[in-house]
Amino acid sequence: MGARVVVLGLASDFGCQVQLTNIEDHLLDVLGLIDLSYWQLASSGHMPDEYDVALVEGAVTTDEHVELLRKVRETAAVVIAIGSCAVTGGIPALAGTGDLEGRYEAVYGEGTDVARGRTRPVAVTSVIEVDYIVPGCPIDTGEFLKVLSRVLGGLSDKPSEQPMCFACKTRENVCFFEKGEMCLGVVTRSGCHARCISLGRPCTGCRGIAPEANLGAARDVFEQHGFETARSLHAMNLYNTNEEVAL
Amino acid sequence: MFFRVMDQSRLPDLVRGLAEEFEVVGPVAKDDRYVFGRIEDPADLELHYDTTLLPPKKLFFPPEERMMRFRVADNEVVDDEVYAGPRVLFGVHPCDINGLLLMDNVFMGDFEDPYYKARRENTVIVGVSCTPTDTCFCNAWGTDEVHWGFDIFLTDLGDRYFVSVRSVLGAELLDRHVETREIGDADTEAFQSASRKFKGSFTEELDTSQLPLLLDAKFDSPMWDELGDRCLSCGACSTVCPTCYCFDVVDRLEPDQKTGMRERRWDSCQFVEFAAVAHGENFRVSRASRVKYRYYHKQWGYLSKFERVLCVGCGRCERACLAKISPREVVKALETGGVQ
Repeated sequence: MGARVVVLGLASDFGCQVQLTNIEDHLLDVLGLIDLSYWQLASSGHMPDEYDVALVEGAVTTDEHVELLRKVRETAAVVIAIGSCAVTGGIPALAGTGDLEGRYEAVYGEGTDVARGRTRPVAVTSVIEVDYIVPGCPIDTGEFLKVLSRVLGGLSDKPSEQPMCFACKTRENVCFFEKGEMCLGVVTRSGCHARCISLGRPCTGCRGIAPEANLGAARDVFEQHGFETARSLHAMNLYNTNEEVAL
Repeated sequence: MFFRVMDQSRLPDLVRGLAEEFEVVGPVAKDDRYVFGRIEDPADLELHYDTTLLPPKKLFFPPEERMMRFRVADNEVVDDEVYAGPRVLFGVHPCDINGLLLMDNVFMGDFEDPYYKARRENTVIVGVSCTPTDTCFCNAWGTDEVHWGFDIFLTDLGDRYFVSVRSVLGAELLDRHVETREIGDADTEAFQSASRKFKGSFTEELDTSQLPLLLDAKFDSPMWDELGDRCLSCGACSTVCPTCYCFDVVDRLEPDQKTGMRERRWDSCQFVEFAAVAHGENFRVSRASRVKYRYYHKQWGYLSKFERVLCVGCGRCERACLAKISPREVVKALETGGVQ
C-alpha cells in the first residue's frame, strides 16, 4: 500500500476538501496510490496516531490548532498546506486585522462560549514549516494533483515565484488596468493560469503575494492608474493580511 | 516576386477558397483588441487591426506544448508526434513577418527544432499592409518593410490590393481561388504613394545608430538600476514579444503515475529562476541585471550573431508593460544618459 495520508481542516469553510472530491476524473487513480487513513470531511473515525503525509486546510485560530499542528509536524514526514487559509491566512486572518474579540461578539453574541483558547488567526505556514504548498481559494485540482504526484515520487516542488501577468498574457486577456479596473495579478503568485481573469474577473490575490513581486513598483502602477495606496492595501488584505506587505 | 491587383470585394472569395484547403487563422476582435484566431467566416477577419495581443509566434511555438509522452515502467517514449496541420496565417503585418524570420534563425538555424519547423513548413503566410500607431517603431530597425517570409502580401490601396506574390504556392493559391488582374501604371503609382504615406506616418524617427557601442559604453550606467526599480518582474514583455523564444522544459507524471509527459513552456529572462543553475548559483539575481540582460541580448547579443537586432518595433511590450518600460525609452536613455 502507498503512503498513509491524512486530510485535516482547521478554520476554513472546508471548500478545499470539497474541491478534492471534484477531482472525479482522477480520484480513483489517486486513491489507488495512497492509503487514505483519515479525511476529516468524509471520515467518521478518529485520526490515526501514525501517518506519512498530512494535508492541512484552514487557518490557525486557537491554541488547540497550534498543538495539533506541532503534533502533525512531529508525526508526518511530509506536510502539505492547501488553500489560502493555510498558506497565507486567507479570509480568517482578516478577522485579526481589527478588534478580534469584538468581532467574535458581533458574530456569536456576547458571552457565547466559542473558539476556546482563541488566538489571532494566522496561516499554517506561520506556525510550522511545511514541505509543500497548494495555494488558492479554492485550490486548483490540477495543481493539487501535480504537487501530490511530486510528493509521492519523492520530488521537491518549486511553486512559481512570479506575478500573474506572464500567464495572463498567454491567455490573451485584455489587461484590467486598460479598462480602468484594479487587478492584483501584478503582485500575486502565478500558477493558476490566470483563471479568474480569463473568466472576466480581476485577480483578488488568493494565491498570496508572489515572492518576486516588486511591491514598490506595483504601488506606483496602482497610483498611476488612480488607485491610492490605502485602497490597494485594502484590496490586498482580503487574502494577504499575514504577508508583510510594504506597498 | 511578381505582382497582381485584386479588388477588395474579392477578398471573401480568397478567404473562402483558402478555407477549403487549410485552417485559416487571422486577426479577429477580442474586447477592444485583436487576437490571431480561427477564421470561420471571412466577415470575422479584421484586416484593419492595429496589433494583436499575442504575436503569431504562438501558432508555431505555443505557450505550452507537449513534446512527448513516456511510460514510467520501461522509460519508453510512446508519443512524440507533432501536430502541424496545413494552415494559412492571413493578415500578418510586416513587423510580425520579420519577427518570424528572426525566430527562424533560432529554431531552424544551427539547431532544428522539429516542433517549430513542422508548423512553419505547413503554414502559408499572407501578409497585409498596416498603418503605424503611436507605439510602432518598426521604422527604427527597417522591419517596416518585408521582402520575403510570406507567400502573398496584400498592400491596401483603398478599393483594391496590390498583391505581391513571393512563392509558387502563393501563386497557385491565388490562381485557384480568386480573380486578379495584371498591374497597370496607375496601380504601381498608387502602390508607391501608399508606401510613401506609410513611411511618413510614423510619430518619430528613433536614432538607433551606434546602439551596440552605446550598450557597451553604458554597461554600468545607473539607468539600469532605475529601470530595475520600476520593473514588476512579471514577464509580460517576453510573453507578448514576437521574437522572445526562451522556454523551460518540465517532465510531469499523470495522476496514475504510469505515464508522464514532457512539456515546454514559454519562459522569461525577467524571472529570477531564469538564470538559476545547479548548486543554487544565480547569474542575475537583481531586477536591474535582468532588465539589462533583456536589452543586451536583443540589441547586442543576437546582433553579433545574426546581424539584426532581436526586435521588430511592434510596440507590444510597451503596451503590455504596466511600468511603461519600452525599447524606445531605453534607446533614448542610452543616447541621453538617463531614463525619464
